[in-house]
Amino acid sequence: MSYVVIEGLHKTYGTNAVLSNIDMTIENGEFVTLLGPSGCGKSTILRIIAGLTDATSGSVKIEGKNMNNIQPKNREVGMVFQSYALFPNMTVKENVAFGLKMKKMNAIEIVEKVKDTLALVHLSDKEHAFPHELSGGQQQRVALARALIVRPKVLLLDEPLSALDAQIRKKLQADLRSIQTELGMTMVLVTHDQEEAMAVSDKIFVMNKGEIAQEGSPTEIYTKPESEFVANFIGHYNVFTREELEQMIGGKLPGERQKFAIRPEAIHLKANEGDFCFTGIAKEAVMSGNVIRTVFQVGERTFSVEQLHDRGSSVELGNKYRCYVSQEDVVALL
Amino acid sequence: MKKRGFADLFFFFLLLYLFLPILATMLYAFATNWNKTVLPEGLTFKWISTLFQDSSFIEAFGRSVLLSGGAVLLALLFIVPAIFVIVLYFPKYEKWIQAAVVMVYAFPGVILAVGLIRAYAHIGVPMILAVLGAYVISILPYIYQGTRNSLRSVNARQLLDAAELLGASKAQAFTKILLPAVYPGLFAGALLSFSVLFGEFVLINLVVGSRFETVQIYLMKKLSTSGHIASSVVFVYLVLMGILTFIISMLTKRSKGAAKV
Repeated sequence: MSYVVIEGLHKTYGTNAVLSNIDMTIENGEFVTLLGPSGCGKSTILRIIAGLTDATSGSVKIEGKNMNNIQPKNREVGMVFQSYALFPNMTVKENVAFGLKMKKMNAIEIVEKVKDTLALVHLSDKEHAFPHELSGGQQQRVALARALIVRPKVLLLDEPLSALDAQIRKKLQADLRSIQTELGMTMVLVTHDQEEAMAVSDKIFVMNKGEIAQEGSPTEIYTKPESEFVANFIGHYNVFTREELEQMIGGKLPGERQKFAIRPEAIHLKANEGDFCFTGIAKEAVMSGNVIRTVFQVGERTFSVEQLHDRGSSVELGNKYRCYVSQEDVVALL
Repeated sequence: MKKRGFADLFFFFLLLYLFLPILATMLYAFATNWNKTVLPEGLTFKWISTLFQDSSFIEAFGRSVLLSGGAVLLALLFIVPAIFVIVLYFPKYEKWIQAAVVMVYAFPGVILAVGLIRAYAHIGVPMILAVLGAYVISILPYIYQGTRNSLRSVNARQLLDAAELLGASKAQAFTKILLPAVYPGLFAGALLSFSVLFGEFVLINLVVGSRFETVQIYLMKKLSTSGHIASSVVFVYLVLMGILTFIISMLTKRSKGAAKV
């Protein structure tokens, strides 16, 4: 029996279906990410797990116990919000201690635990500060500490890092993952940033228009997208129709599927045995640090190729090149 | 430079226009004799001390505080919880409050006074209570704006959610988190309402008149007997309003600091 089981979840506002037929299982100690564009219903799932929003139908079970009629405060579920939601009238220490005070834990124990938890999020020197005196990254650490200290069964993270700038976001991603591993806590993260999802998760649910488009490990999702939506959302995949690709490689493709996706970094300029081969004219190149992205034109359409930025891999614009891709890297889409 | 000089001159006259009457009134409150001279012939505390020795002024002051303070207190007890619930849980009903707010401004005072007398005079409700009730409604705009803005600026709904997920009951979340967070804005709204009611004259004069003498009615009586005393009343009133305004500005500054996330 899985730790968190969501079955047949539906949510409609009026006639507008926000979620339809969501089934999910999450194991104890797993870091799961709900990934999708904004408005795809991923935050609604979190709010339903927390009990802040009621589902139209379907059930949420935690440790085998049906949560449907249990109030948020009794669910032992924690949540970190995008806008931090720190209590503005309390200091960092009081914010973090709040959950334990509500549990009526004795004062000495609270002081001890607050100290430990603030050390865990590297904020020991800020315990007397008020939220408005802290930076965004620090405020989110306080929010994390406040949620962690009560050791919830499941910690829900609702786009916690998307208001922060890139550098702090990367640092907090790493911290989040290491804290999760250290505590062995089950966490569910909602994000629209596919890199973030890849970096921290054990399992990813890609969502589109209120449905789960695909679930799997980050590697599975990245290398074997099942649909055009996932292929486009998860990377800069080149998506071709059967007709286009057969024309390019001058041969027949196996199977019945009508669409195929190829990762830009799976296309290379050196031949290996058994590779598909096609020619294209280099049209434009964009350098983003360690990667060079080149757009090639073949007939009416273009495709992009990403190569590591090293000597010898440079491409002259306007020239014709032979491009190769291994047969396994051509992914048939549903 | 020439342009700037004109602007400065214009500004100077504007200030003169605004403040000369107030300055003159305040000066008159401390003047011994001010008939044929440009400035008063001498200064004295006689009028102020006479005023504070007049028991009917002290009583009028007490009545004004009681009436305005009572109305504000009632509004805080009944209107504020209603606004909380509507803004947080039934935002679609907010437009009705907004309509009520506009009505408060749109209603002419004379109609209100006549209406109150017609409605309540014959059924034995003391008219002072009718005025108190009207006061409670008339400060709705200030109370509503103050409460709603502070709820918005702290993202109240999310604070409540966060508190509940940490194990707080709805009542605990309300008293421990929400009230302290919105308190500065609420208090500023209450003080503003108090100062508006303290200066109200039309309704109380028409409906109750000298049967319940407030500071404003006392002031009107004194206008015909002693200009110096009337000026002293205005002086005391202005000092009180100055203090209230100062407290309000301090509070709004602090609430802005606290709301900065």
